[in-house]
Amino acid sequence: MYNLISILFKYVFIIIIYLFIFSIIRLIYLDIKSISPVALEASAYLKLINRRDSIPYKIEEYYSIDGELIIGRRSDNDVYLNDPFVSKKHLKIVEDEGEYYLEDLDSANGTFINKEKVEDVVKLSNGDIIRVGSIEFLFVDRG
Amino acid sequence: MFNNVSNKTPRNLLFIFEVLTLFLLLVNQWDNIEKTVYYIWIALILVIYISNYILNRISNGDNYIFLLVTMLMSIGIIMIYRIDSNLGFKQLLWFIVAIIAFYFTYFLMKYIRGWKNWGKLYIILSYILFLLTFLLGTRKYGAINWISIGGFSFQLAEITKLLLIFILASYYSKPDMFKDNKYSDYIVMAIVYSFIGLLFLQRDLGTAVIFFGIYAVIQFIYEGKRKNILYNIGLFAVGGTIGYALFDHVKIRVQTWINPWLYIDNKGYQITQSLFAIAEGGFFGSGIGLGYPEYIPLAYTDFIFSAICEEMGAFTGIGIIMLFMILVYRGLKIALNQNDKFFRILAIGVSTLFGIQSIIIIGGVIKVLPLTGITLPFVSYGGSSILSSFIALGILQISSEDMGFKEEEYSE
Repeated sequence: MYNLISILFKYVFIIIIYLFIFSIIRLIYLDIKSISPVALEASAYLKLINRRDSIPYKIEEYYSIDGELIIGRRSDNDVYLNDPFVSKKHLKIVEDEGEYYLEDLDSANGTFINKEKVEDVVKLSNGDIIRVGSIEFLFVDRG
Repeated sequence: MFNNVSNKTPRNLLFIFEVLTLFLLLVNQWDNIEKTVYYIWIALILVIYISNYILNRISNGDNYIFLLVTMLMSIGIIMIYRIDSNLGFKQLLWFIVAIIAFYFTYFLMKYIRGWKNWGKLYIILSYILFLLTFLLGTRKYGAINWISIGGFSFQLAEITKLLLIFILASYYSKPDMFKDNKYSDYIVMAIVYSFIGLLFLQRDLGTAVIFFGIYAVIQFIYEGKRKNILYNIGLFAVGGTIGYALFDHVKIRVQTWINPWLYIDNKGYQITQSLFAIAEGGFFGSGIGLGYPEYIPLAYTDFIFSAICEEMGAFTGIGIIMLFMILVYRGLKIALNQNDKFFRILAIGVSTLFGIQSIIIIGGVIKVLPLTGITLPFVSYGGSSILSSFIALGILQISSEDMGFKEEEYSE
């Protein structure tokens, strides 16, 4: 009885081990394919803090900021978040003489920088955490 | 079939694998069930599953390395338990301790800053550990590298391995470790070679090669004076030749590697038994419990790879090699993404450690390299080996997180 099960199981074990290896390789492949090198060239960018695979819609790991960047739920925004807690046009980041400013565009649920609600326009500094709905971005300014 | 792979897939496959092993054990021991073993085994399965789940949440870094390692240790534990159920039971307990050590290292490295400033402390600690080994050490399998405290045997070189990585990382990320000394690169080289020499005196050749390998890789990547790399290789070649000429135990290793069949009655016995076992297993193995791994000497530690090949097949053996390859690849990927130099060197060091250690021992048992007695990380039996491997994994996990901007905050 045991011998029979053991002989059967040796094939099952090998199949499981290889399925495991291939599923990890597949995940790593998907991970590598999605890395965009754009962010590495820009002097300022947003980096996603949430795990990308925990978000049910398409989102990039990095968004570079070239002059102006609008985040919102509508698909014609620069950063498009298909999240019910994000307004159609939620916030705007603008560059002015090397400094970056965040402006909340009267969003319904507000924008938070380092857990403080943005009232009007706020100057961003390196390392600020921007929260929109359930999504968090790290602001990095290398300039 | 793989188009709908989600990040839950490997976790669930691992879970199925472990439940099946438990089922196999249950069938095997149907008449005489030891309950505590099952409780601990179930606890371990739950710890692994929950850990893989929690790590996705608490760590924003890599989420593959822990999965890979838990797969390796699941394969190892079945084999150890099958060879010797007492050792298997101990190993289960060691794994639980090691996973706790993994989290401990992870949080310690996360919340304590300034690891890169303590280079001298690491050097002093390493020498103290060597001194302890010489004072309290007992000879086991030809090497004086074990000390026993309260019934537990430890190999202190396992900890020194990690300290070496810390020494090199703090030196190359902060070269002013030795003030403005012009010869600081030679001082580091002298320290590393003194470690290798001490290991040689303990007859722990495998660990000596690991130390050299880690140093050579990190030096090759970060050394500003490229001449030093040549000095290092030259020194090792000369040292190796002298060692071969002077010491019998080095000569034996090489002779039994070139032709073990001449010494099959004594010195070459280990390698030939290992080769017989691998050949006996074929591609799919004989089935767990149906082979004869007890004929391989030290089948639960150094020769576990041959025992696995015999009973679970060469395909499982290839699978283990692939798992190690992915682990090392992830480690180097972590190093590439890390902005903080200290943690980048740590990641390189740890992945080199896993890579070299598995190459040396797998190469040794399949007669591709001269055999040296070291453990296969995460698979072999051995408390200190498992513990240090999981601490190294904790270091790799913390290195995979974004440290750059936090470090800047700290230095201001």
